[in-house]
Amino acid sequence: MNQPLLEIRNLTFTYEGAPVPVFEELDLAVRSGEFVLIKGPSGSGKSTLLRLVCRLNRQQSGTIHFMGRDVATIPPAELRSSISYVAQIPQMVDARVGENLLLPFSFRANSKKPVPQPDTLYRMLDEFYLGGVTLEQSALKLSSGQKQRLAFMRSILQEPEMMLLDEPTSALDPESAAMVFSIMERLNREKKMTIVSVTHSDYRPESVKTLTFMLENRKLTLAP
Amino acid sequence: MNGIIDISTGKLLLAFTFIIIAQASSFIYHLGLNRDIAVGAVRTFAQLFLMGYVLTFILGSESLLLTVAVFAVMVVSAMFIVRGRVKEKQVSYILPTFLTMLVTYFATAMFVSGLIVGTTPWWEPRYFIPTGGMVIGNSMSAIAIALERLFRDLRQQREVVEMKLALGANYREASDDVFRNAVTAGMIPSINAMMGVGLVFIPGMMSGQILSGTDPLIAIRYQIVVMFMLVGSTAITSIIVMLIVRKRCFGSGEEVLLTPR
Repeated sequence: MNQPLLEIRNLTFTYEGAPVPVFEELDLAVRSGEFVLIKGPSGSGKSTLLRLVCRLNRQQSGTIHFMGRDVATIPPAELRSSISYVAQIPQMVDARVGENLLLPFSFRANSKKPVPQPDTLYRMLDEFYLGGVTLEQSALKLSSGQKQRLAFMRSILQEPEMMLLDEPTSALDPESAAMVFSIMERLNREKKMTIVSVTHSDYRPESVKTLTFMLENRKLTLAP
Repeated sequence: MNGIIDISTGKLLLAFTFIIIAQASSFIYHLGLNRDIAVGAVRTFAQLFLMGYVLTFILGSESLLLTVAVFAVMVVSAMFIVRGRVKEKQVSYILPTFLTMLVTYFATAMFVSGLIVGTTPWWEPRYFIPTGGMVIGNSMSAIAIALERLFRDLRQQREVVEMKLALGANYREASDDVFRNAVTAGMIPSINAMMGVGLVFIPGMMSGQILSGTDPLIAIRYQIVVMFMLVGSTAITSIIVMLIVRKRCFGSGEEVLLTPR
């Protein structure tokens, strides 16, 4: 039970052509059900850290273990069907909302997962403050805030073990941002979803306990 | 009428009238093309004469080694042209593309020359070299178009591809659309050529055969074989090259290696 869900040790990363690492000898342990916030100035490597965990960037040194296994030994598609990464700018394919939500189930790594039925999708759309959106409308015509919530919902449908959220509210107006924060807290509180979110906003969740880290000057430290 | 009327050197010089017209047009309308037209005319003259002598030598040599060597030189030249057009630095695509081109073009030329036309030996230079030349020339453009499209689309759609990867897609599933569009873009010119042949244009090879006295009904048979050969070889070469090169656009963690330019 004490084994962390995610354990990072001695992680150093240098961008191609950069004279110094963006961060070095970074350690982080995240246990199941925890809500971790990583803050820090722009360019401090917060997004890179998340992308390294789900192998969207190539690891250069150190170790990253997920559920006790070195991520480098887990087939990438299998890893990413267990760790859901939501990018800063949500991406949709040029198709209807329903097809976008069910996109993960068209991939082999998710083929054994149960495909949600339309009534489940409509119920979830309500929970994600997307009550007016239908499964038949074009996903590309939604607002940024709606797309962000839809991207969250799509990730949740995969039933991942952990979610990595990259600046989930940076492109949103305050009202949409509040909705996203509320969803994040509810997921953690009610579904015990492990969340690691990077942000440079002053967001402090009120309804759930969080661990906040600061990533600056190439080091990750626990914030008071 | 049988046989072909030879063009004497004097009459060949008469053809320069067309170059003089082009030069005059450029001069009068300040098109700035005089130098290019002059260089182009001289190169056409020199390169084709050189080719004529080389072909005369090869066709008379009856040497398998020489035929294969000329074929290899043609493929190497094609690869340089593809490299000049694609200009990609982040992904190493040249060696696999070259090897695929060499093997598939050779197999196609062998199939057409030895099996369909039925020459003896199968590498009979008079058939093998022109067949190979047509396959290489046509398919080379298709590969250049397809590679350019693959790299461009993977860069432009990197975020969508990464979104699919993040949702559990493997690299093939994530880049399925990009792959399909690249192969299609390369193949469209060959397919369009099949649509227009005989209606919109008379292909060069068929025109050449008719000019040299071949019965048009024989010439069309050759042309049909050539058109089918070009579509087939373009499809197989483009698909193999795209499968190999697409894999090289992703790292060991199936991460996208191409970064924005």
